[in-house]
Amino acid sequence: MSAALLIEDLVKKFGTGKAAVDGVSFDVPAGEIVVLLGPSGCGKTTTLRCVAGLEHPTGGRISIGGRVVSEPERGVLVSPRERDIGMVFQSYAVWPHMTVHQNVAYPLKYRRKNTSGSGDIESKVRETLELVGLGEYAQRPVTSLSGGQMQRVALARSLVYRPQLLLLDEPLSNLDSKLRIRLRDELRRILKMTGMTGLYVTHDQSEAVVLGDRIGVMKDGKLLQMAPPGEIYNRPADSFVANFTGASNVLKGKVLERKGEQAIIDLGAAGRIEAWTPQPLVAGDKARVALRAENIRLGERGPANSFTGRVTERRYQGMQTIYDVEFGDQKVEVLELGTAARHNDGEIALTLPPDTCWAYRDDGQATVD
Amino acid sequence: MTATSAAALPATTDAAPAARRWAAPLWVGALLIILAFLVIYPLLMLFFGAISDSNPVIDGFGKFNPSLTHFIAVLGNENVRLAFFNALVACGGGTILAVVIGLAFSWIVVRTNTPFKGFIAGASMIPLFVPPLVAGVAWSILGSPKTGLLNTALKWMGIDFRFDFYSMSGLILVFGFYYAPYVYMFTASALRNMDPSLEEASEVSGASAFTTLFTVTFPLIAPAILAGSLLSFVVMLGIYGIPAALGAPANISVLTTYIFKLTAWSPPLYNTAAAVAILLMAVTAIFVWAQQRVLSGRSFATVAGKAFRPRSLNLGPWRWFTFSLAIAYLFIVVVLPTIALVIAAFRRFLFFKDFDAVFDMKAYSWVHFNSIFDNPLTMVSIWNTMKVGLITAVVGGVLAFAIGYTINRTNVAGRKSIDLLSTIPVAIPGLVVGVAYLWAWIGLPGGLYGTIWILALAFVARFIPDTVKSLSTSFMQIHKELEEAAWICGRGLLSTIATIMVPLARPGIIASMTLLFVLAVRELGSSLFLYTSDTTVMAVLLLDYYEGGNVGKTAAFSLVQTVILGVLLGITTWLSRGSAESTARAG
Ligand SMILES: Nc1ncnc2c1ncn2[C@@H]1O[C@H](COP(=O)(O)OP(=O)(O)OP(=O)(O)O)[C@@H](O)[C@H]1O
Ligand SMILES: [Mg+2]
Repeated sequence: MSAALLIEDLVKKFGTGKAAVDGVSFDVPAGEIVVLLGPSGCGKTTTLRCVAGLEHPTGGRISIGGRVVSEPERGVLVSPRERDIGMVFQSYAVWPHMTVHQNVAYPLKYRRKNTSGSGDIESKVRETLELVGLGEYAQRPVTSLSGGQMQRVALARSLVYRPQLLLLDEPLSNLDSKLRIRLRDELRRILKMTGMTGLYVTHDQSEAVVLGDRIGVMKDGKLLQMAPPGEIYNRPADSFVANFTGASNVLKGKVLERKGEQAIIDLGAAGRIEAWTPQPLVAGDKARVALRAENIRLGERGPANSFTGRVTERRYQGMQTIYDVEFGDQKVEVLELGTAARHNDGEIALTLPPDTCWAYRDDGQATVD
Repeated sequence: MTATSAAALPATTDAAPAARRWAAPLWVGALLIILAFLVIYPLLMLFFGAISDSNPVIDGFGKFNPSLTHFIAVLGNENVRLAFFNALVACGGGTILAVVIGLAFSWIVVRTNTPFKGFIAGASMIPLFVPPLVAGVAWSILGSPKTGLLNTALKWMGIDFRFDFYSMSGLILVFGFYYAPYVYMFTASALRNMDPSLEEASEVSGASAFTTLFTVTFPLIAPAILAGSLLSFVVMLGIYGIPAALGAPANISVLTTYIFKLTAWSPPLYNTAAAVAILLMAVTAIFVWAQQRVLSGRSFATVAGKAFRPRSLNLGPWRWFTFSLAIAYLFIVVVLPTIALVIAAFRRFLFFKDFDAVFDMKAYSWVHFNSIFDNPLTMVSIWNTMKVGLITAVVGGVLAFAIGYTINRTNVAGRKSIDLLSTIPVAIPGLVVGVAYLWAWIGLPGGLYGTIWILALAFVARFIPDTVKSLSTSFMQIHKELEEAAWICGRGLLSTIATIMVPLARPGIIASMTLLFVLAVRELGSSLFLYTSDTTVMAVLLLDYYEGGNVGKTAAFSLVQTVILGVLLGITTWLSRGSAESTARAG
């Protein structure tokens, strides 16, 4: 079977100015959930709205279930209601003048290819409300529900007619953090149970990791990397991806040599470091090495990349401890889990496992956050 | 407002000297007396008039034979019922049309990519400023069954259809077209504040644009539609000029024209007029109350919390269709009537032998203008109008400032009563204010009747709610702390008002006063009963010309009035634009 969603070279420009979406291509196979992750204003919502047909792309092609639904070059633009999609909005967008039941029954009532009888509507609505855990709320006016419950109504409304593709635009971002975590796990369970194909937009990486079969990281309208969460987290293709997903330590240096995906970087006074790199660096390039605070091992001397440094500050946070460590003229933050802070200020051994050090060309860009 | 403002107000602190302690009650008392004089006394006289059968002119002041039988007899009268029924049909029909036009316009302006939206939105407000009688006159020139310009045009084109605006349907059409902006104002802002994803969710669910409009959009803005239609109904109900111009020739009386007819009979039936006026006021009050209820109710459209980008539908080539709809509307309410007035005012005779005669320049002249200015009453009426406008603006502005300050900025006992009294006039149509002032003063020898003061005070009473409201908004923008800072510096209350409030609120005060001036200049309903030949005003004189039957003079004077109003409105907009800027600076 062909991909449930195929996006080829999508471009969207608003009025004048630079493109909000700039040549994005990816696909979502049936049954898979793809998450678009990126900072505010990177074009996630615009991409999603182009897929929904709520926004008219400037260029490229979008196909849903093998049917081209948007292709400006050929003048193809299928209206949202004929795309067989479901959409969950950030603001819930449940209709406040209807009850829970009326909200969920609405699509069944007004869809063009409406083949189901009214008894059928009844049972589908009930089944879907049970699925999202709102079985007992059917007759309530939606305005009497909490935010989390409203979002479940919105989810039920977009699932009830089993669309080919479900689009979700930061559906959890209006909820408080506890509820967000609960609903996030539940959302994955529901989506997997129904076997729904999904495109999910968020700027929250923990949401992306839990929900996505694959994650696409976007920046300034471009898709930087599209890969399973493990790969995004362990093999970021780009220093922005590394930084955005939490590799907050950056060591600056010069490339000494490169063998395949292995590079040796000179960090000056600190010495040299072995790192993995996805980029064709050559000797003499300026480079930056990104690594996550949790991947540095304190008090250990490993076979490679081991240094002697000094703990300058220790911040105990209960469940974890953060150490500021200096070695040579470099500075890193190290995070250790556990309720005990094991190291004291002063001299210490540290190991930066080469697999978790990622070297990129230093193009002089500032990091996010 | 709050307990802190009470504590901070010097006049109410315990330590204040005796004079200060008495200042607040005296002040409140004075305001209450003024409001009672302006609002309550005339209303009481109206009630007495309605339930008595003594004529104040003949029997003198204060002679009542109160009995409900008279009032009940009036309500049972067949003509009254007919006028009541006509009013409901005309205003009801007009409201339905206004809702259709207003909704279509707000959708076009807020939700589509129709070209020149900003211009359309601005221009569609013009009908609000056209005096009803001028609109009525213009449409009688266009649509009178025999000589109407539209019918002349149809005849040339060989089309067998004839318009008749001297009819109930004519009345409904003109009402609906001219009062659609009231509906538009409410629905446009409701649409603008509505989360667009509510509509997008419906489209994604598979509903057509049409279904979405009727199952999501309109139900969500239903409170705004209802509030706008109730308001336009109330306004139409109180209008005299349009039914006077279009209904009278076909013998269609509505409540307003019937009330005036009663006082124009000889002998005038003042008691009956008062009784019908009370009927009109009661209906108005019910609708105003209903509208306030709707407005204070919870609005669905603002449930979503996030700020959003307004949705704009790409209509493709259809946007030129919506554009032409908007242009057609402007053509009907502004361009066509203006052309009609200009032709009628400058042509010696409103008769066209064929189409070319329209462009026969020899048939045009200033003769009608010369003849209206030969009439000494014309200049008298213009002069009187300006005087009345000025008095209304100054007295009304000062009073509204005093009331607004007391209601919004102090916590003195009795301010709730002041608020209530100053709000009552929203439920009183202008014409009823006129009848009430007539009853209040006509029997009093040496009183206000026959002076321009009675007109000015009636206008002040009629417009006090709007003026207080608009001034209160400009008070709200001035932080309480600015005033408190002055008190802390040792300034007294009056000096604080003079040095802080007045300068900061000045743009708002000027805007309110100029608006008051414009409203007074175009007011007809309440003037009808209060003018004498020495104190006639423009609006009344225009009615005289119209009823005198000379179309040329009527049109010429309509134009004169329109030009004067246009200039005044221009000045107002200019002044309030300055005020908006300086408020922004101050706030
Ligand atoms: N209707 C529009 N008109 C003009 N510019 C727009 C419009 N919609 C989006 N943009 C611009 O396009 C860019 C991408 O916007 P988009 O809403 O897709 O960002 P996002 O990734 O969803 O961000 P967020 O996380 O804040 O929702 C932004 O710079 C935005 O200002
Ligand atoms: Mg977004």
